[in-house]
Amino acid sequence: MLSNQELDQFIICKKCNTLHQKIPLHQGGKALCSKCNTLIYRRDDNMVEKTLALVVTSLISLLIAFQFTIISININGLEKSLSLLSLFAVLLEHQQYVVGLMFLFLIVLFPFMMLSSMFFVLFFMKIKKYSYAVKRLLILLSHLKHWNMLDIFFISLLVAMVKLFDYARIEVGISFIAFILTLGLELMITKDISFDELWRNYKQTYGDINDDRTE
Amino acid sequence: MNYGETINRRMETLMMIERSKFIRCHTCEAVNYEGGKEEFFCRRCQSKMHQPKYISYHRTWAFLITAIILYVPANLYPILITKQFGVQTESTILGGIIHLWEVGSYPIALIILVASVFVPLLKFIFITYLLISTKYNVNSSRVDKHKLFYITEAIGPWSMIDVFVVIILSVLIHFSGVQVFPGAGATSFALMVFFTMLSALSFDTKLIKKEN
Repeated sequence: MLSNQELDQFIICKKCNTLHQKIPLHQGGKALCSKCNTLIYRRDDNMVEKTLALVVTSLISLLIAFQFTIISININGLEKSLSLLSLFAVLLEHQQYVVGLMFLFLIVLFPFMMLSSMFFVLFFMKIKKYSYAVKRLLILLSHLKHWNMLDIFFISLLVAMVKLFDYARIEVGISFIAFILTLGLELMITKDISFDELWRNYKQTYGDINDDRTE
Repeated sequence: MNYGETINRRMETLMMIERSKFIRCHTCEAVNYEGGKEEFFCRRCQSKMHQPKYISYHRTWAFLITAIILYVPANLYPILITKQFGVQTESTILGGIIHLWEVGSYPIALIILVASVFVPLLKFIFITYLLISTKYNVNSSRVDKHKLFYITEAIGPWSMIDVFVVIILSVLIHFSGVQVFPGAGATSFALMVFFTMLSALSFDTKLIKKEN
């Protein structure tokens, strides 16, 4: 049977499932899959610090994006503005409970939970405490990552704006810019971070607290 | 150094012989070695790695069929209802796309056509193909199937665009004279996307592996 250290030498490409053996990289180096050229791992010694800074920033801009007006339109003097609160008010008024609930989870709760649990994971790793909480949060994160639809919401916003372009004068609000900022940062975070790397870091910081059950 | 070299050689031979026994954990992406046990847990995150194959298989079918059933009302019922000074007009997904095309906004018509017609259909076809081909050992490359699954997972949520657009429009066009609001189609469409995503998530990539 193989030990954990030996198994840690392997990595499987997430796209085509090819097995690779890891080789040491220099700082900032990347390793690509030999079959499909997908990025499989990279070396970044300051990953935790860098990502923590990005996560804090994007958390702040996410809160701003949720708080204020996203866009407002003006049709012949009639004004209407879109913010998250007005969105739920209108959905409740039209009795669209299923869509409203999905919206609440996919656009508000999951992105917020994702960023905040990412923050706690990295912060706890930095101060080297609460290993159990970090582990639970990492598992939570891996389930959450499929259900974050903030980027899709933004594209829909652009589509809706283009649709309204002929009839109305559109003004973008503070939240619109905050949305762009959040999405950009989120893109950088997901590009930088890999779950494998996070778990490796977790093992490194807290040691082998949990005995391996595979042996 | 000598010890390291021996280990290296040992792992290389292992890779050659038992490539298919290495499994990637869904949760933490750790590489695990399957020891032929009925049930085992990931060495790093302790999440369950091995469940009987038929559970994943049937669960995926169940979610997929639910999604396909929901796809029918999603297309038949209006997704968008416009009330203009008492006159009510309803438009379905396809009707909306045709209207957009006639009006001349081709890019948006294309985006919505791809996102809300092609993406769900492609997902249905891909998942059905993956399920049938893994069940009946259809001869095609395993790498292709893994790639197909990866694509299926990636394109899934993008069909929500249409629902979000309708929601945004219903908030913005909400005057006393003119009102836009989501219809029953929006609900069933959103549920359809939800179930296709569940179906893709419950598909076990080990099914692909077990074919040979």
